[in-house]
Amino acid sequence: MAPKKLSFLKGAIVLVCACCLSLTGCYDAKEIDQEVFTLVIGVDKGTGNMIRVTFQVSTYKEDGGNGGGSQNGGSAADTGELDGTVISTVEAPSLIESINMLNSASNRQISLSQTKMIIFSEEYAREGVGRYIEPLTRFREVGELMRVLVCRGRAEDYILENRSFIGGSLPKDIELSFLQSANTGYYPDVFLNEFYVRLLSPYAQAIAIYTAINDFDSLPEDGMEKGIIEPHPDLKPGEIPRKGGNKREMLGTVVFSGDKMVGYLNQNETRFYLLATGKYKRGLFTLDDPKSAGDFIVLEVTAHGAPKVTTFLENEIPYIYLEMLLDIDIAAIQNRENYFLNPSAYLELEKYIETYFVRGMEEVIRKTQQEWNSDIFEFGKKIAGNFWTIPQFEEYNWLERYREAKIDVKVKANISRAGYYFHPRPIEPEK
Amino acid sequence: MLEAYALVTIVIITKIFYTFPLTTIKQTGTAAWYTTLISCVGAIVFFALLYLLLQRFPQKDLYQVFEAVLGKKVSRFIILIFSVYFLYYTGINLSEFVTILKIYSMPFTPKEVLVAGFLTVIAAMAYVGLEGIVRVAYVLFYLIITGLVLILILAIPFYDFNSLKPWLGYGLGVSASEGFLKISAYDSVIILAIIANSLQGLKYFKRIGLSCLLTAGAIFSICLACILAAFQYTAGSGYISGMYHLSRIIYYSRFFQRVEAIFLFVWVFASVIAISAVFYIALSSYCRVFSITNHRPLLWPFLFLTFAFTFLPSNIYEIISVHVRLIRGYSVFLIVPVPILVLLVSIIRGKKGGKASGT
Repeated sequence: MAPKKLSFLKGAIVLVCACCLSLTGCYDAKEIDQEVFTLVIGVDKGTGNMIRVTFQVSTYKEDGGNGGGSQNGGSAADTGELDGTVISTVEAPSLIESINMLNSASNRQISLSQTKMIIFSEEYAREGVGRYIEPLTRFREVGELMRVLVCRGRAEDYILENRSFIGGSLPKDIELSFLQSANTGYYPDVFLNEFYVRLLSPYAQAIAIYTAINDFDSLPEDGMEKGIIEPHPDLKPGEIPRKGGNKREMLGTVVFSGDKMVGYLNQNETRFYLLATGKYKRGLFTLDDPKSAGDFIVLEVTAHGAPKVTTFLENEIPYIYLEMLLDIDIAAIQNRENYFLNPSAYLELEKYIETYFVRGMEEVIRKTQQEWNSDIFEFGKKIAGNFWTIPQFEEYNWLERYREAKIDVKVKANISRAGYYFHPRPIEPEK
Repeated sequence: MLEAYALVTIVIITKIFYTFPLTTIKQTGTAAWYTTLISCVGAIVFFALLYLLLQRFPQKDLYQVFEAVLGKKVSRFIILIFSVYFLYYTGINLSEFVTILKIYSMPFTPKEVLVAGFLTVIAAMAYVGLEGIVRVAYVLFYLIITGLVLILILAIPFYDFNSLKPWLGYGLGVSASEGFLKISAYDSVIILAIIANSLQGLKYFKRIGLSCLLTAGAIFSICLACILAAFQYTAGSGYISGMYHLSRIIYYSRFFQRVEAIFLFVWVFASVIAISAVFYIALSSYCRVFSITNHRPLLWPFLFLTFAFTFLPSNIYEIISVHVRLIRGYSVFLIVPVPILVLLVSIIRGKKGGKASGT
């Protein structure tokens, strides 16, 4: 073959290859504005077998500084518009079908690829969420990184109040709010992937974030009866005594058994739960002062790595030992007692703190065992180490026998710092 | 030496991006990560026997050894079977690749278009020949390994290695039998014996082969352990591509998440090289049978046959349960015993050839 012809042939092959590589995506190509991206999906009970699915989708509009409401006037419930998003509700036999139905009323294709969270109403979660999670994990468009929440009341009502208060971007606002889990420990951060894996797991049960809308009617007004100061009130989401700001509120952990919600842990129980699972690294705890009734000690607690969990079986009864080391920084002592000057008082305080954490964790574990028989701590993974094979472990049926487990918690607290003051002087009494 | 190492390693490890984790975890549960090491040991034994065979006939490649031991007719018949097998392997791998691509990334593009596009690249690679394929493999090898390691490292926060318990999975017997069958996952190391004349002597053949098998064993084992640690054996045995899912759950912050684009690059590069290499081996094997010196005129018919093999399975179930099971579960009964039998025959008949060089 002549060299000229050969080089032409080579050039043609390279050109064809390049074309092939660049053209294969054409069938699946979508312009950015051909789609609308769903930020939130809410699932409520519909009539009969149907479900009511609420979608909050971005409209690519600025909220326009209109105070977070509808640009066309009227409430979000009437117009569906809220802070640069539009909220649509549809009743359908399945979640995926609901997208199709909504597509027929939308001029752009609804995409779930950027969805930040899926919210189940509590009523629905108690009946079982498995059949709605399964299609989501199968459907190619759904990202595993959306969070799973269960809300008190209707998911639709929750989404109608889902707006951004700081900054103009709702997706950013939603995503940042989940990161607060690491700062407060009042709720876990649960991704769809983790939730799904746990639904199938023989080692542990699933959890979700507990959430609700706060109508700001829990804050005691002047003249209302004053209660006793309680550092650890049992609050449900939507009950934090506050007003102003975002109505959306995440507080506590939803506990599942199988795919059904069986109960919840309040915000303090959630912190003990997260500590016991090694997911809560650092946070503030407020304890009653053992030496001064009515005063509090505030501790900044840092966990030294994940807790050490050891297990063994005796006559098929599981024994579990959970040990953890906490580093304590005293953030505040209201009565200004100097525990560092008195070794016995210091040791007493350390013991007191250890007892506080042991009791807290034991109480949460007891609750999950006796009330729900739901191992949300993933102790099952350690128990599995006592079996040689999967069939043996599955036959033992850990999730069923979690209730029988004898669980012992040990905490070693090390008070290592006391903030800026080493010798706090008492405040001079009134003269 | 490095080029050959890169090529054969890529050909072996590419299946970790496909349904290999799914089937291995499904069959052996939590023992998947070391079941593949059992296979690796088996493959090393097989490779040692291959080495012994080639050592008896220095300066000959595997097909020449077949001819020397079995005679022209029988050896050509066996090489023809090898050629058909490699062609089938190419078609099924391509079918698996395209099906997974459709599931995860390009759902609306017709399979024919994807296959045609891919075959065009294979044609270009095969047209250039082994040297071109090997050089591309060498260049992209570092990229592929870096991408793979990056995915595994970035997903560390999601691992809990307690999910690897119970340690024996579905039992030692199951692991051992599956480990034996899954030697097939490593049997592409035979490519080295087929191209032995292109290597610089048997010393390099031994070094490259062992390095390839050890690298592939380590990669398979680590990837399977990571998939198990992230998804447990229950969900891990359900995902079509465990590695792809691993890349999808990576989350560090609002800005750093969902890095599956890395996976797609690595996956496509590795697939192009692996499938092109096996396609070329099928083509050159056929040429050897009929003493055809120029493989290029045969490109079209072989591309057509690959296209046909690609459409042999009509759905994902057929791909996983029948064809992939055949090439990654039972090819051990074709690729492994033939060279061993030839070795036995050569020992029994006392056949040897030439002087050893480079050993």
